[in-house]
Amino acid sequence: MRRAVVLGVMVVGIALMLWAGWHNLRERKLAMQKARDNQVVLIPEKQGAAGDDSGLAPVMRGKQAPAFALTSLDGKKVSLADYKGRPVLVNFWATWCGPCKVEMPWFEEFRKQYAAQGFEILGLADDVDAGKDMIAKVATKAGVSYPILLTDGKVQTAYGGLDVLPMSFYVDRNGVIVEQTAGLGSKDQIEANIKKTITSGTVAQAGGQ
Amino acid sequence: MRAALVAGLMLGPALIAQQGSLSTGTPKPKQYITYAAEEQLVKPGKKAVVELRFKVADGFHVNSHTPKSELLIPTNLTLQPAAGVKAAAIEYPVGTEYSFSFEPNEKLDVYSGAFIVKLPVVAEAGSHTVSGVLRYQACDNAACYPPKSLPVEVVLTAK
Repeated sequence: MRRAVVLGVMVVGIALMLWAGWHNLRERKLAMQKARDNQVVLIPEKQGAAGDDSGLAPVMRGKQAPAFALTSLDGKKVSLADYKGRPVLVNFWATWCGPCKVEMPWFEEFRKQYAAQGFEILGLADDVDAGKDMIAKVATKAGVSYPILLTDGKVQTAYGGLDVLPMSFYVDRNGVIVEQTAGLGSKDQIEANIKKTITSGTVAQAGGQ
Repeated sequence: MRAALVAGLMLGPALIAQQGSLSTGTPKPKQYITYAAEEQLVKPGKKAVVELRFKVADGFHVNSHTPKSELLIPTNLTLQPAAGVKAAAIEYPVGTEYSFSFEPNEKLDVYSGAFIVKLPVVAEAGSHTVSGVLRYQACDNAACYPPKSLPVEVVLTAK
């Protein structure tokens, strides 16, 4: 009886292996066919190769916000360290990015609303090649009065490569990134993140979540 | 117990085989447009139009060659001069109208799905390769992706 069971299991096992092999071969054939049909030319992304898979994962959450010192539209040197002890939203955007321009007026609104709590927003323009004038024009059109900073290429890398825009980093009073978001979220979600950033680090909290 | 052990031994390789097929899957795309490289046959010394087939990944769109705003980055193909091939001005398809759901009044002019760029050429007899780059900037329904450059190789045979 027991022998029969063992034999049965073996037969099932071998059948499974054969099926897996056949399935594997079929998949490979299909893949080859697809490759031939549609010779995809992919550019190796050297910069993003280290640890950055989708560009959407909140890889910076819980980390200390990387320091930066950049020039604002009005020519001042602005560094993240200037805002030490204050909750700050670091928002990367670009003039060609539609979703970015949708949330910028919301940011402006929340900046006023939470000013008493020391909340500030820094808008980092990710497309310096558009030119300062164009960046200023778009920011004005969006009704933005918070500092707009011109990126230097290094800050994007320090913040994980920025494969997606808009990309926001919510930095608490202690300089820790409490939340990272990619793409346009809802206004409510943005406000919730701002509130979270304001409360984070007020009482000696250990390491967040 | 023994049966379970045997079953385990038998299943092990099968699972590994399956894993193997999974790992051969394509990596996450960093490009949002693919180019179907096809060999193009033309008559030597005669005017011909070569069709270059591109496809925007599902769920994404790119600006057309003539977007409606100066802020937007147009899809643009630049080709290197190639010996034996005279190329005239590239012909781009017209875009389709698109609006983000959060900005229904803002009308964009985009390519999505398959699109064809036409290249009028006159080629000398023989085999030629015209190299170039397609520059584009893609978005999905809630986010945008920095401008990309897609290498393009047009293999032309005139005979």
